[in-house]
Amino acid sequence: MSAAAGPRESAANRAARLLRWYPRPWLDRYGAEFTELLIADIADRPRSRARTLDVSRGGIVARLADAGLTGGPVVPARAGTASARASLGALACSGAVFLVVGAALWSQLTIGWQWSDSAGTPAALATTVTSAAMIALLALALTAALPVLLAIAANFTRQLIIPAAVLVTATTLLFACGRHFGNGWPGTGGHRGLVPGGLAAFEWATSLSVSAYWAHPGALAAFPAAEVAWMAASPLLLAIAVLAAATLVRRAELPPRLLAFETRVGLVACAVMAVFLAGCGCWVATGGQRSLFHAGVIDVAGVALMALALALARQAARAAGCRLAPAGR
Amino acid sequence: MPKGKSDPGDGKGLAGFGRYAGPATLILSSLADGAKHGYALTKDVESFSGVRLSPGTLYEALARLESQGLIEALDTDDRRRPYQLTAAGAGALKAHLDAQRRVAEVGLRRLAGNWGTA
Repeated sequence: MSAAAGPRESAANRAARLLRWYPRPWLDRYGAEFTELLIADIADRPRSRARTLDVSRGGIVARLADAGLTGGPVVPARAGTASARASLGALACSGAVFLVVGAALWSQLTIGWQWSDSAGTPAALATTVTSAAMIALLALALTAALPVLLAIAANFTRQLIIPAAVLVTATTLLFACGRHFGNGWPGTGGHRGLVPGGLAAFEWATSLSVSAYWAHPGALAAFPAAEVAWMAASPLLLAIAVLAAATLVRRAELPPRLLAFETRVGLVACAVMAVFLAGCGCWVATGGQRSLFHAGVIDVAGVALMALALALARQAARAAGCRLAPAGR
Repeated sequence: MPKGKSDPGDGKGLAGFGRYAGPATLILSSLADGAKHGYALTKDVESFSGVRLSPGTLYEALARLESQGLIEALDTDDRRRPYQLTAAGAGALKAHLDAQRRVAEVGLRRLAGNWGTA
């Protein structure tokens, strides 16, 4: 091995790390030549934060384009229905973000509803609309998930073992811990049930991480340690579960008819999400009016985040539909 | 590539490149001199414009230019794949530079008339 092999090997390792930002189809087409350019650039500029930022930005843009979330011919098309599956994976991720943030806002409304004798008109309207929309979204999520799980089970391959195992483990932990921490639901004992208490408690527990308490460490320190740990771990578990589900959808050879069905369910879910968002927007815009329904900065931020997630989900669903059209249904 | 190559005579040129029009112009200008791979492109652009294109930006622009049919990759056994200008790319570059020259001429003429500088 020559004396120059050391630095080149080190540069190649750094280039390989930077390449992780890019999606597989982009790497298949440009990976080798891009690696050579990075190695030469690292030799010219051994330390460059601008290069790291530029490459990571380019990789994110390529991943968004690969999922159909942005326009522009940045990434070569995947073969067959793989592009549509990538879009559906992005739809699942965006939908999950919407559901978690939405669950947090909805929990606040249901708790207020449980304890108040009468809600003001905006809060009552928001609680009713978001409750109906939340139940519809959960039903749609089940409608979307069941046929995919059946199709995956019918054609299970070795490359699905790891994401399937991760998904089962993460969802089991989420369910078990969600049920456990749901016992501390502040709505217990309230006198006005709008939705089943178990469902409201579970949603409250799984969305505890969406909280303004993160900005107040002193108040957070008064919480039981296990609850704070759950607040920190639950979004991680959710992210792992959603990414595992998206990986399963991307890797599994799902028939085009099923993907078309999933796309239609996704578009219906986007419409329901818009209704949910309108309900929350109505509540937040009025500030909640009564103390139990008070809407704070975290709720305004939540509505903004849900609007972004909805826009991404809708774009992903539309991209999936466009990408499936040439494949033939 | 996901999108069809644009018709060389569609007249769109670099108009649809948005914020990538700058890197695209630099790349096309460099390739007007002959085929080059990524690193040679970076060094050539830096030598005539003083701008160092970062790797991510360079390949984002290369991918767009290739998908629009303005440049094409050459077959090679080397891992460093060279790119060359196409006829459509040459036409688009000329149209873009002509437009820039008209703007430059107007600006310089007005500067000379009102500020005594040129």
